[in-house]
Amino acid sequence: MDRVLFGRTVAAQRTKVIVIALGLAIWGVFMPLIYAQVIATEIGEQVKALVESGVFPEQLTQFGGGNIFTLPGSIALGAIHPIAVALSCVLSVGFGALAVAGERQRGTLEVVLARPVSRRSAYGTLFVAMVVFVGLVSAAGIVGSVASSSVFGVLDELDVGNAPMLWLNVTLLYVALGSIAMAASVSFDRLGPALGIALGLTVISYFLEVLGSLWSDAEVLQPLSVFHYVDPQAVLSGQAEPSDLLVLAVVALAGVVWSLIVFPRRDLAAPS
Amino acid sequence: MSTPVAGAVIRTTGLSKRFGGGRRPGHHAAAVDALLDLDLEVRPGEIFGFLGPNGAGKSTMIRLLLGYLHASRGSATVLGLDAARESVAIRARVGYLPGGIALYDTMTGADILDYLCRLYRRDPVRRQALADRLEMSAATLRRPVRDYSRGMRQKIGVIQALQHDPELAILDEPTEGLDPLMQRAFYDLLDELRADGRTIFFSSHVLSEVERVCDRVAIIRQGRLVALHDVGSLLTSRKRHVEIRLAGPGPALDGVAGVSDIHRSDGFLSCQLQGDPGAFLAAIAGTQLTDLTIEPAHLEEAFLEYYAEAE
Repeated sequence: MDRVLFGRTVAAQRTKVIVIALGLAIWGVFMPLIYAQVIATEIGEQVKALVESGVFPEQLTQFGGGNIFTLPGSIALGAIHPIAVALSCVLSVGFGALAVAGERQRGTLEVVLARPVSRRSAYGTLFVAMVVFVGLVSAAGIVGSVASSSVFGVLDELDVGNAPMLWLNVTLLYVALGSIAMAASVSFDRLGPALGIALGLTVISYFLEVLGSLWSDAEVLQPLSVFHYVDPQAVLSGQAEPSDLLVLAVVALAGVVWSLIVFPRRDLAAPS
Repeated sequence: MSTPVAGAVIRTTGLSKRFGGGRRPGHHAAAVDALLDLDLEVRPGEIFGFLGPNGAGKSTMIRLLLGYLHASRGSATVLGLDAARESVAIRARVGYLPGGIALYDTMTGADILDYLCRLYRRDPVRRQALADRLEMSAATLRRPVRDYSRGMRQKIGVIQALQHDPELAILDEPTEGLDPLMQRAFYDLLDELRADGRTIFFSSHVLSEVERVCDRVAIIRQGRLVALHDVGSLLTSRKRHVEIRLAGPGPALDGVAGVSDIHRSDGFLSCQLQGDPGAFLAAIAGTQLTDLTIEPAHLEEAFLEYYAEAE
């Protein structure tokens, strides 16, 4: 890892990281707020009774693996909501795809690699930066939810001791996606293909998980999605599956291995 | 500390680079030989010009030397280090100006120079002198690069390549975008670097600047080396056009060493002069003339001749 490159990367992404961390923290505040102010009230009880009467298909009420009528379920729904996913993907998929292919297309990678910085070191530095960014914004979202639960008086319904495991699970998900994005990034000279592949895989993966959760015939496809290995409700209930973490770690590692093999061997022709 | 280089600063042996050609089965993209069997030596302390039109293979050669590209065949050493296996160590001792350098637009000039120098882990010992010579004031360097003109960006490119006082500078089209005054300042800089014992590998398609600056020049065409000469002897060996306006009888030039293509008309004589002008000057001594013009030899003629021969 190159400390100078790391420092420059952090400085360049600082504003983006702060904005997204704030966004996820605010988003994290919402679910306990809605739970405390709506769901855990008499109106919420009536809605719960309506839902449990069988009017709605069970899949809809369990979307995202969360039972919205519990605080962990509400927080779980927030964690896998498209808004939270999109915000987190800016710093995993977006940064990952831009990290090498974007710099390459702009021509600035050439200037950095004119210094005594090996390609593996440059990649490793950018990967560590991505992990740090993803870890920070994931933590912001969880901190927002915990703080909100406390403010609205429902913290006793949450085992805060499970929060670090939730952070690890969510962080590993976005590190896996970022690792795939960086593997695409080191493989192309232009940003378009790298970003297209990274975003495409992310959207397809999310779609497979959602499809499987809404349609029982498509459940068989869910294990193909990285989102399948994040179960915030189970984690918050103290029932985290170590195998989920392992799968995400293996996906992330596969991206790293690909990048460390492909990037140093590639020809970096003059930027056009 | 850097290791002194006893032999060549840059040495290539049969260096070749082929792009495309379908490494995958069923992939039939046409192969392009960007560089073919290039044998070259750059000596310590010289300014070496690498001359050729756009697309001739100049940038490919530089990118092979710095490890951006992997050679298809042959080998290269830079400062005694293998370009394929020791490119990081090479880059620690080299300053590189890429053609059409790209910079981070949101950073200031000073911040970019600081950042790029810190990546070397060396002090910017020449920065102030370079900035002064290229008229980049402290106020200018405090401005964001997005406000810079093309010429100012190129000046930042030159400073970042030389500020840490590298043993070898590899400069790809270094005067692109510089105005004539700054070009002259840049040539003076190169002279100073040479005087300090630094080696400069200088890629260009501008013949006049190579002629002005370089000690030796290699001419490359479609990836092949077509000529490698000392600039001084190359120019001396060129034919120069001579015109004499006569005030009396013309001199007898037939058979004079180095003189050819003699044409005479009323009060006017023209000829071609090659090599040492001593015999020619002796032959015209005593001739009554009103004007004498010996046009200087230019690299351009040599360059065009080599290109014509290679066609």
